[in-house]
Amino acid sequence: MSHLRKAIMLLASISMLAACGSQVALTDPTIPEPLIAKLPMTVAGRYPERFDNFVHEERVIGKEKWTIDLGGSNRILFDQLFGSMFSSYTVIDAGTDASDLAIDALIEPSIDAFEFSVPNQSQTEEFAVWIRYRIRVFDKDGNQVANWPISAYGKALSTTFGGDSALKRAAVLAMRDAAALIIMQMDKSTGVSKLAQANRGGPLPDGSPPPAADPTLLQTTANEDALDEPGK
Amino acid sequence: MNQANSTVMSSRSNWRGLVAACAVALLGGCVTSQVQGVRESNTGIREGEGVVIMAKSYHLGNETEAKFIECVGATVGRGSGGLRVVPNTEFVDALFPWFEPRTAPADTKGLPALMSRPGVKEMIAEKGVRYIVWLDGDTDRVAGGGSMSCAAGPGGGGCFGFAWWQNDANYEASVWDLSGLEDAGTVSADVSGTSFLPAIVVPIPLIARTQSRACKGLADQLKLFIVDEDPV
Repeated sequence: MSHLRKAIMLLASISMLAACGSQVALTDPTIPEPLIAKLPMTVAGRYPERFDNFVHEERVIGKEKWTIDLGGSNRILFDQLFGSMFSSYTVIDAGTDASDLAIDALIEPSIDAFEFSVPNQSQTEEFAVWIRYRIRVFDKDGNQVANWPISAYGKALSTTFGGDSALKRAAVLAMRDAAALIIMQMDKSTGVSKLAQANRGGPLPDGSPPPAADPTLLQTTANEDALDEPGK
Repeated sequence: MNQANSTVMSSRSNWRGLVAACAVALLGGCVTSQVQGVRESNTGIREGEGVVIMAKSYHLGNETEAKFIECVGATVGRGSGGLRVVPNTEFVDALFPWFEPRTAPADTKGLPALMSRPGVKEMIAEKGVRYIVWLDGDTDRVAGGGSMSCAAGPGGGGCFGFAWWQNDANYEASVWDLSGLEDAGTVSADVSGTSFLPAIVVPIPLIARTQSRACKGLADQLKLFIVDEDPV
């Protein structure tokens, strides 16, 4: 067999393999600067290792394999988001003891689940992405005061953006949805601003006592069904 | 000599066929349309004021195509009586997160609360947006039939048969006046179009441009509605 024929067969094999899978990489979710007033408190954030290199693979039954590489976009999302929500926000690494820092709260976001659907599955022209984040909030002594799961959703039409771009767009919209939900509901669902009030002593603005030391009293879960109604 | 004449005749015949095919194709399919408006309050627009065209939230089940939104925005902004149209991505990003699918107000009752949020009123004034137009609806294929078969061989190929399909485009535009925080009214477009595809060797598509007719009808009526002129 001539070298030329071998090369052609090799190229054909590679292109056939490539056709069996799609890979989408997201480098920056480009979340806009939120139009909100910052909460006057000092907060630290700690991210899980997978926030730097999150990759999700899914094989659509009988069809192709899809890989979505979010890279460090979750870190960028939460850096931008919490940096806009709190007057002071710093990110600490896993080895830093938060109780040594002069902070009002420590926030640990994480990803519980990532799912997506492609047009072949949904029998529509849409790519859809669901991301389930979990936000844990700790007081300055390291007691967990809130454990809040949130579900975010985004969808994009393949006819408008094209396959790979539509999946990327749906992922960005899901991240924006998460950011919107966190801005709207985080304080209500986790009581994070009360930690700053408690640290400064005295009663809270609404007259209620400072948060209890017993973390189980402040465990919270989001009422996700109620939050899915727009504009409320 | 005879052979030369025959070639010339054949060439002329081909040209006539091609011209006839183009003429028929330009005629397009059959389209019927109805555009109407319901006014709730007086409208009008001053120099420097603009509109933003948005899709109702997909959290509410809306599936308006991005292409249609772009078309309405472009059509409202050009031609005689064209209005200043603020690109919706620019508007949504500037007011992040208050016009995300999850957070956008579902009706005008939510506007006072939205305008009281820090920076929102000022940003809307900075963007010069007087009206928000919320689009709802989509284009669906509602019927179709016929059959067509195509074949190809060493001597050439061709198709034979007849196919048809009917698309319905139903869209509604709700106009919110941000100066009075009220619902100014609605404009709706119901367009039905039947496309045909006869084929005798060569398929001749007679496409009914249902969605573009709906876009133009809705956009032209919106311009008249907002400047408060009765259609001639």
